[in-house]
Amino acid sequence: MENWLLFIDRWFWLGIGAIGFAILFNVPRRTILTIFLLGAFGGTLKFIILALGGGIIMGSFFGAMLVGFSSIMAAHYKHATPFVLAIPAVIPMVPGAFAYRAMLGVIHLTEKIDHNTFLKLLEETTDNGLKAFFVLAALSLGVSAPMLIFRRESVKNMKVRIK
Amino acid sequence: MNLTGEEKANELSKILLEVGTLLMSSGANSSRIRITINRIADAYGYEVDLLITHRALMLTIYDEEQDYFYSRLKRTSPHGANFRMVSGISRMSWRIVEENWTFDQVKQELARLKALPHYPRWVVLVMVSAAGAGFCRVFGGVYIELLVTFVATFIGLFVRQEAIKKSFNPYLAIFFAAFVSSMIAGAALKMQIGENPEYAFATSVLYLIPGIPLINSLSDLLDGNIMNGIVRGVNGLMISFSIALGMISAIVIYGI
Repeated sequence: MENWLLFIDRWFWLGIGAIGFAILFNVPRRTILTIFLLGAFGGTLKFIILALGGGIIMGSFFGAMLVGFSSIMAAHYKHATPFVLAIPAVIPMVPGAFAYRAMLGVIHLTEKIDHNTFLKLLEETTDNGLKAFFVLAALSLGVSAPMLIFRRESVKNMKVRIK
Repeated sequence: MNLTGEEKANELSKILLEVGTLLMSSGANSSRIRITINRIADAYGYEVDLLITHRALMLTIYDEEQDYFYSRLKRTSPHGANFRMVSGISRMSWRIVEENWTFDQVKQELARLKALPHYPRWVVLVMVSAAGAGFCRVFGGVYIELLVTFVATFIGLFVRQEAIKKSFNPYLAIFFAAFVSSMIAGAALKMQIGENPEYAFATSVLYLIPGIPLINSLSDLLDGNIMNGIVRGVNGLMISFSIALGMISAIVIYGI
């Protein structure tokens, strides 16, 4: 029960994170609620996969894929390109913390430190940098997955049937 | 208004470059720019070849009947995400195809899109700060840390907007913002406010993460626009580097 409450709490705050960036990117007003839902469900799927032991890269990939597919369905109703809906929704999943930890590590490596600290720091920095890169690759692959699978350049003529 | 073939090609090349540069500076990826421009050119019965780079677009328009071509180059304006523009241009391109718009109609629509308002400044500040607090919560922070992140993000973003208004170098503006945010969150860490103040310190700069450059970089690489992908990726790295520099300045000052 405790766990589910935690997921609902995260669901809400992930959605808030998504619309914060949506407003920073100046999206059309009619898309904000959609972006909240996409960001919240995509991010929650990532945490569910993490809790099941799937790892951060797989979690981000499936989370982004959920956002990618739902953004195509939503695009028909909201008359916006899927891109506009999907990018703010995956931003909360962007590995910002990994990226700047890697950068901080690189800066620390140039300081005067002894051999053992250097090796330990190098290990952490490489780990963070690689994770940042692969999570990012998983995100953009996940978001463009529908386009790659359906081999279309536009979703305009794609028939979407729900029900 | 009756235009000769040459004038038409000239006029269309101006419109297409305007569309392309607007998309580029609003944060669209390269294949979207190419698809949109080709769609509009097709609607008017012209063939178009494009060279897309980060800072300029080059276009050659070819009129088969008269064996006549036009080349033109246009610089992009400074980059800043504006998805209202991306969405608006995409809708416009479909209406050009379906409703056979004239050049004047397209120009009017572009002028309308350019004049569309942004969200009021206080809405942006409050919502982005709430997003920062949201990240802190997702990391596992409690409410006092959320408040620290909110304040740090609010003031940091304000500093960044002011620095951009005073036309500082964009990377320097990000450095200032990261520095101010980490100074505020670092003060909480130094004084041990809350249970895990390091969560607030780590999430206080997340509003600066280069999400659009990095995601567009990967999607460009995936589409085979390797050059653009690399350029965008390096831009994203520069931004991450500026954030890290801002944080490290605060870390050095507080000695944490």
